[in-house]
Amino acid sequence: MSAVRGSAVASPAMRVRWLTDPRVPFVVLAAVILAAVVIFPMLQVLIRSLKVEGSWSLETYARALQPANARPLWNSVWTAAASSAAAMAVGTALAFLLVRTDLPGRSVLRTLVILPYAIPPFFGAIAWAQVLGPQGYLTRPLLQLFGMTEAPWSIYSAGGIVFVLAIHYFPFVFLTVAGALERMDVSLEEAARTSGAGTLQVMRQITVPLVMPAILAGGVLAFMGAIANFGIPALLGLRARFFVLTTSIYAALNIPDFGLATAMAMLLVGVSIGALFVQRRLQRGEGRYAVIAGKAIHPQPARLGRWRWPAFGLATTGALVIAILPIVALVVTSFLRYYGAPLAPESLTTRHYAYIFGLEQIRRAMANSALLAVLAATICMALGTAISYAHVKAKIPGSGWLDAIGTLPYAIPHTVIAIAVLLAWSRVGLYGTLTIMLLAYLLAYLPFSLRTTAATLQQIHGSLEEAGRVSGAGPLRTFRDIILPLVRPGMIAGWILVFMPASRELTMSILLFSLRTETIGVTIFNMQDAGYTQIAAALSVVVLLVILGGNLLVRQASRGRLGF
Amino acid sequence: MVETIAVRGLWKEFDGVTAVADVSFGVGEREFFTLLGPSGCGKSTTLRCVAGLELPTRGEIVIGGRVVSAPSAGVFVPPERRAIGMVFQNYAVWPHMTVFDNVAYPLRLQKMDGAAVARSVGQILEVVALTGLERRYPAQLSGGQQQRVALARALVRRPAVLLLDEPLSNLDAKLREQMRFELKELQRRIAVPILYVTHDQAEAMAMSDRVAVMNAGRIVQVGGPLEIYARPADRFVADFIGLMNFIPGEVRRVEDGRVLVRALGGEVWVSATAPPTGAVIMAVRPEDIGLGTGPLSGTVAVRNFMGNFVDYKVRAGGHILRVQSPTTQVFEEGAPVGITFDRALLFADESR
Repeated sequence: MSAVRGSAVASPAMRVRWLTDPRVPFVVLAAVILAAVVIFPMLQVLIRSLKVEGSWSLETYARALQPANARPLWNSVWTAAASSAAAMAVGTALAFLLVRTDLPGRSVLRTLVILPYAIPPFFGAIAWAQVLGPQGYLTRPLLQLFGMTEAPWSIYSAGGIVFVLAIHYFPFVFLTVAGALERMDVSLEEAARTSGAGTLQVMRQITVPLVMPAILAGGVLAFMGAIANFGIPALLGLRARFFVLTTSIYAALNIPDFGLATAMAMLLVGVSIGALFVQRRLQRGEGRYAVIAGKAIHPQPARLGRWRWPAFGLATTGALVIAILPIVALVVTSFLRYYGAPLAPESLTTRHYAYIFGLEQIRRAMANSALLAVLAATICMALGTAISYAHVKAKIPGSGWLDAIGTLPYAIPHTVIAIAVLLAWSRVGLYGTLTIMLLAYLLAYLPFSLRTTAATLQQIHGSLEEAGRVSGAGPLRTFRDIILPLVRPGMIAGWILVFMPASRELTMSILLFSLRTETIGVTIFNMQDAGYTQIAAALSVVVLLVILGGNLLVRQASRGRLGF
Repeated sequence: MVETIAVRGLWKEFDGVTAVADVSFGVGEREFFTLLGPSGCGKSTTLRCVAGLELPTRGEIVIGGRVVSAPSAGVFVPPERRAIGMVFQNYAVWPHMTVFDNVAYPLRLQKMDGAAVARSVGQILEVVALTGLERRYPAQLSGGQQQRVALARALVRRPAVLLLDEPLSNLDAKLREQMRFELKELQRRIAVPILYVTHDQAEAMAMSDRVAVMNAGRIVQVGGPLEIYARPADRFVADFIGLMNFIPGEVRRVEDGRVLVRALGGEVWVSATAPPTGAVIMAVRPEDIGLGTGPLSGTVAVRNFMGNFVDYKVRAGGHILRVQSPTTQVFEEGAPVGITFDRALLFADESR
């Protein structure tokens, strides 16, 4: 009850109002669920990491920081830093090229370059292993071209991990920088031009410094994504015995060594929250330059002149390689008789598809994933709507706290979320059940549903609801008749935005699944890990089709505001 | 007078900031009563307290003889159980419902049967001249039409009182003027008391039976439009309502209802009851200043023809006076003129 009473201005009349408001019980219910689903598991990680054989100790941290164990921490930090640096370079360059120049085909290229963002990261790892692996689709022609017998690179290495992470996360940088460039007041650049600066001088002295906060903010997002990623370092690093934090935690839990796993999880949380803190600081820094101020003036694009077509060729090739080639590789592999077969009509077969739809284990995994994703999306949206409504619209005292708590898991890597639910719910017999996986999904996706529901509700003017009240409808009736119909399209879009990542989730599922509770993500991972590349590819293609369809639905439901 | 709304000693505080301070007024059973004041004066908050959309900190609100809000007694009737109709500044017409469904909503909540709903909605749509648009969605209507939908929705269940929160401010100038007449006409037909909120003094003057002028959370004057225009209670009201010249002066002599004031480098007689003494501010309307011969003298600085009158700026004794005169006698820019005050109000000047 403290959630609804903890107001500093609780006059007698206030109390009368909140006690009689029929919406309050729903908010209290949301608070109770939040305490159980979010706070309780997260506290378990913290407590477990501070305990050794039942008494308080920092020993697990000491163990985690031992040279042998500190290695993964260092690996995590440097691979994430290197890939986000590459993401910043590529993302910024592409943003300038596609927003600020007269490059031909900009809108098509724009769709292409953000495509890697929509593809699950571990699909990227599978695809790039097929493209740049020892027998890769790109490796073989390149070796022939240069007359070599063995590639001078290995995709199964730290370098390969950095490469695939960078490709997967550079759209973050691209989107933030492109957004900043579009919102920037053109007159600032024009003032420099009329002061006598040339195109390149303006870019270097005015434009780049002004969008720097956006570049860095996008870079931090890429860093956070990369350091929390499991699929890419697992599929490309485990073979080469190259461990990062997420894969070390996976290994520790297989032993199982919960103390070490929780201590490393706390390190991961520490780095992630540190990065988030940096990002918040940068956002405040952006406010200091009050110049990026939502003006819809489209600047005169820079003329590329004789560089126009070479730049177009380079950008198109790059976009095709990073966005289309992996998908093509997956599709081709899924139709090949065996991986490495010559690319000829007689090598093609559909038997992998027949196999995956015939295998009971895979059908069960599909059903599990569908069930989990539907439940996670539905519960997240219901909970998110209740909390956002209380917070944004009804302004019920204490509901701001609910929003803050529900948003907290945003900074928690999914590996850590999996450990949290393991610690919290295994002891009540939920280990290895779909329920424990659902509890993890709820924790992980609640922040997303809170953002979409809050944004949707904010668009509805308060007077629409008040008009319902003065027309004679009570608070619940108003919510049902006025609010719900108006937010429905946004809620459907939000539902799909949870459903899609949940339906092919890997990072949490791989730590929580057991026999009969495999998900589709786990199955693809295990197939690839066990060497059944064609099966993994065929399953990936099926999931990609679902993602594509889901995205079209999101665009439809949100009238183009969401999706890509 | 039978009061349909009675507000007594109303206070509203937001996080320690006082928005409404000790406001009391009553609205008669067929009265058009307006809360008028600049933005942030507390007029909308007062209206929202009457509607039940805000929870008052203190004070009593009675609608139709029933106490709907009395925090000290723990009484708070939620908006849906007050017999009110309200029109919002942005109309708040529900975009997912047709015109018919918008207007029918309050009736359906009362579990009225379908035929009766259709009959009532048809009647009220006729009153607001929207017959034929029942099946349109709000997005297919003009701003003026949307506002009529909002009016119809507010009136359809025969509320004890109609609350209007700056309903005309989003309309263009021409439509706004037309709606002033229509609202007044509408009230005559359906005989509902209206509590109206606006910052536009012309609107308030044109429609209201009585006006309460608000400033900084308090009511500073209540009266008929003419009374407020002619006898503003203080300098704020004088300044807020219409155009007013404020001229510093000194009372020299008081003589049965007339006062001799020294101002603008001369001395002038003005009529005043119970005048202050010593330093004063003279408030004179532009149309109450006569040009030609007079005890004071000045020079025409700017002259604008406005069609039915002439708008001057006259320089006199270091001040600029705004003067509006009939077109019967016209002075050139730069011409010396004599000045008389036909009517003036005197306020004690506390700044000196």
